Amino acid sequence: MEVKLEKKFSIAAPAANAWRLLQDIKAVAECMPGAQITEQLDDTHYKGQVKMRLGPASATFNGELEVKSLDPNEKKMEMFGKGTDTSGASAATMNLTARVLDSGNGQCELVGVSDVSVSGKMANFGGRMMNQVSEQILKQFGDNFTSRVMAMGEGAAAEQAAAAVAQQPKELNALALIWHALLGFFKSLFGGGKA
Amino acid sequence: MATTAESMEREQKLEGIGCSRKRKEDPRFIQGKGNYVDDVNLAGTLFASVVRSPHAHARIKSINKAKALALPGVHAVLTADDLKPLKLHWMPTLAGDVQAVLADEKVCFQYQEVAVVIADNRYIAADGVDLVEVEYEPLPALVDPHKAMDADAPIIREDLVGKDEAGQGKRLHNNHIFRWEVGDKAGTDKVFAGAEVTVKQAMLNPRVHPCPLETCGCVASFDKVRGDLTVYITSQAPHVVRTVVSILSGLPESKIRVISPDIGGGFGNKVGVYPGYVTAIVASIVLGRPVKWIESRIENLSTTAFARDYHMVGELAADKNGRIKALRVNVLADHGAFNSHAQPTKWPAGLFSVCTGSYDIPVAYVKVDGVYTNKAPGGVAYRCSFRVTEAVHLIERMIDILAQKLDIDKAEIRFRNFIKPEQFPYHTALDWEYDSGNYPAALKKVMEAVDYAGLRKEQEEKRKKGELMGIGICTFTEIVGAGPSKACDILGVGMFDSCEIRVHPTGSAIARMGTQSTGQAHETTYAQIIATELGLPSEVIQVEEGDTSTAPYGLGTYGSRSTPVGGAATANAARKIRDKARKIAAHLLEVSPDDLDWEIDRFKVKGVPGQEKTMKEIAWAAYNNVPAGMEMGLEAVEYYDPPNFTYPFGAYICVLDIDRHTGESKVRRFYALDDCGTRINPMIIEGQIHGGLTEAYAVAMGQLIAFDANGNLLSNSLMDYFVPTAVETPKWETDFTVTPSPHHPLGAKGVAESPHVGGIPCFTNAVNDAFSHLGVTQIEMPHTSFNVWKTIHELGLDKQV
Repeated sequence: MEVKLEKKFSIAAPAANAWRLLQDIKAVAECMPGAQITEQLDDTHYKGQVKMRLGPASATFNGELEVKSLDPNEKKMEMFGKGTDTSGASAATMNLTARVLDSGNGQCELVGVSDVSVSGKMANFGGRMMNQVSEQILKQFGDNFTSRVMAMGEGAAAEQAAAAVAQQPKELNALALIWHALLGFFKSLFGGGKA
Repeated sequence: MATTAESMEREQKLEGIGCSRKRKEDPRFIQGKGNYVDDVNLAGTLFASVVRSPHAHARIKSINKAKALALPGVHAVLTADDLKPLKLHWMPTLAGDVQAVLADEKVCFQYQEVAVVIADNRYIAADGVDLVEVEYEPLPALVDPHKAMDADAPIIREDLVGKDEAGQGKRLHNNHIFRWEVGDKAGTDKVFAGAEVTVKQAMLNPRVHPCPLETCGCVASFDKVRGDLTVYITSQAPHVVRTVVSILSGLPESKIRVISPDIGGGFGNKVGVYPGYVTAIVASIVLGRPVKWIESRIENLSTTAFARDYHMVGELAADKNGRIKALRVNVLADHGAFNSHAQPTKWPAGLFSVCTGSYDIPVAYVKVDGVYTNKAPGGVAYRCSFRVTEAVHLIERMIDILAQKLDIDKAEIRFRNFIKPEQFPYHTALDWEYDSGNYPAALKKVMEAVDYAGLRKEQEEKRKKGELMGIGICTFTEIVGAGPSKACDILGVGMFDSCEIRVHPTGSAIARMGTQSTGQAHETTYAQIIATELGLPSEVIQVEEGDTSTAPYGLGTYGSRSTPVGGAATANAARKIRDKARKIAAHLLEVSPDDLDWEIDRFKVKGVPGQEKTMKEIAWAAYNNVPAGMEMGLEAVEYYDPPNFTYPFGAYICVLDIDRHTGESKVRRFYALDDCGTRINPMIIEGQIHGGLTEAYAVAMGQLIAFDANGNLLSNSLMDYFVPTAVETPKWETDFTVTPSPHHPLGAKGVAESPHVGGIPCFTNAVNDAFSHLGVTQIEMPHTSFNVWKTIHELGLDKQV
């Protein structure tokens, strides 16, 4: 089961700030809902964890992250991650390319292209929701990233963003994701708009 | 002399052959009083749960049991490394291959068994499964069998690298299992080269699963003091399991008792020996306590034997009148990661070569290539005799495609090609000898019943209005009752079957068979055979099966073999008893045995009214007053080796209407005529036909075990896998003719699988027929509304006003 997604986020902050955050792998990982880096193995390799909750059940995905390239000229970062839940019932891999585009006027854009492949129970039962759910995860990632970049600045907007960062949930709530994905699906049915 | 009315009444009281006697099993089933494997609760039972692979193909880098073992209530965690010293990490399959009991260094299909957790109860065992940490290194998965023999295909079975044989002949590639060829290749090619008309069509019998109501499971109990092993198991062939367990474990067969209690449906799914059984047995031997393993529904659909996955290319050569001159078939068979195809050992493609069907085809050639893929192993006969569904599907689709090409009516082309009643016994081009049949009479009867001509007229009118109506015909011949030991064996044991009858002094009896009911009501029908043969009421005849310590050895129930083989054994055992009873009666009446006539339930002295002894009286005498030199008692045992298979047949017509906008098919009529020779219990036959047709409907219209490109299963729960309920199931109309088998003691043939074998092509022929005027030659199953809609949409039919 494979899903390819591309998403853009507009950030009301300078490109330099966004690029600074993008190089901080630990911070970037934490923008993923429920994710954190647990150990740095060397300059480019990390160990990490994603905690996920589906109703009363929770699962922990342990994985490895490799930063494949960091290109300051292009402000581009490529990483590869893979993980399995501790029971080995599901596994996932992800290629992510993220780029910061300077939009001028102290604004920028984060462009993320991800390519996720899952196997195991997640593919068996979550397969039909994969697209929508991945889209939601990426959206939350973008929102968190935006908040963190904004929080680097000063003023009311930055304070608000810092508060949002502090409130970021520590677990990936799969039910909520599915709910948002469903809402998106129905909206697309009736409104014709994008989820 | 007894009056006719009096003797008729006596006959009716026996409830013997031909009586629609109510099923003796049902009172306990409908009251929830059945006794299934999961109902077996022995004191001190532990529960086994299986750790399974999330990957279709991966190397196992490490397995860490520590956390699971630390969980209170967990007794053991077994992996391949634990089974290695016992040489039980691999086991032989019925098809001459080996299968990993627990994954040895790598996994070859998703959900493959990797480790087993044994705990106090099933909840702790399930928690323990979550705590076993397995590290995998994923490998590229091979999902498409058409790519299995590519030069760069991933090698699935590293254990076979360098071996040019996997139990069934020469291998041509690391992922190749066997090539099987039958028939006259040169002769067939020659006819094709000079034929007036040829048709060729690729078609798929997709991977499906029998999905019985009860999943597989067992309770293994090893008594360390007595040194014996008892296994309660969901098996259609308990005696074969005993033999296999003895070979695998080294325990003497006499120390092993295998019991199949009530079984909630088998349909081929419960023929194989699965890793879950083996690990439960090992765990019980190691721990000295009973160990229970019961599959979940997801495990059942994911790992225990699937059916079909035959990718076939059929070709017919014919003359301009539609008279078939030759058949050529090439098959690519996807057997999954291990070749554990359940079949008579010498038949790598089962009985597929019965694919010349009901037609008089002078020459034919069949080639089957089996390949490995990263999918669950198996390949069972899902409610059919080994690969017969695929065979009938092929020929019944091909004859429709030929009719379409020549613009001949699909019923008419069948009449032109039928084997004629006077040609029986008929020897087919692929070497089967059909015992009896009357195909034209069956089809004629069905056509009259449904007003076939009227239906075709209606279809023509509907087509003018742009409406979609399909008429499907299937005139199949089944081959059931495996089988003659000269042709068929399982692991070297001939495919006979057995019956032992003991008549008690007071005139009741117990009979035990080597077959095993999975819901077919053997307790009812076998008793009816004995009632007629011995003149004892079926009510007092107790039938028992499934306990290897009491029943005579038999090969079990699958491939509709119970009546053709077990039923014949029952009749013959009863006749041995009747022969002895005649001698006792002669002794009691002081006449010669030749002076006696058998009448319903008694022996009568010829020409002397009133001089008679009933079987009940004879039974009493058998235990106190027998002729000099005769041993006491009244019992017999028969091991019946059938001289041939039996060949039931049928003619089916399906009429369906398809919604041009939604793709939804509505079966308007399904008329099924079956000929299974002598009918023992017409009500049970009718029930079996309803069940078989419903499973045919399931396969044709919805069932599919689907995978994504990485080998992830997409249909292993009942959310996705279609099991029809009363809501979806069409109404069935049934009918019959009777053409007895000349070689069966009762003239009976098998029946329960015919409706499945004949039903599937009938449905698919109906769907294809609905589109045949638009030049469509092949729409693949399953015919879900979405799939049918896709065809409609491609043809632009949904856009027409």
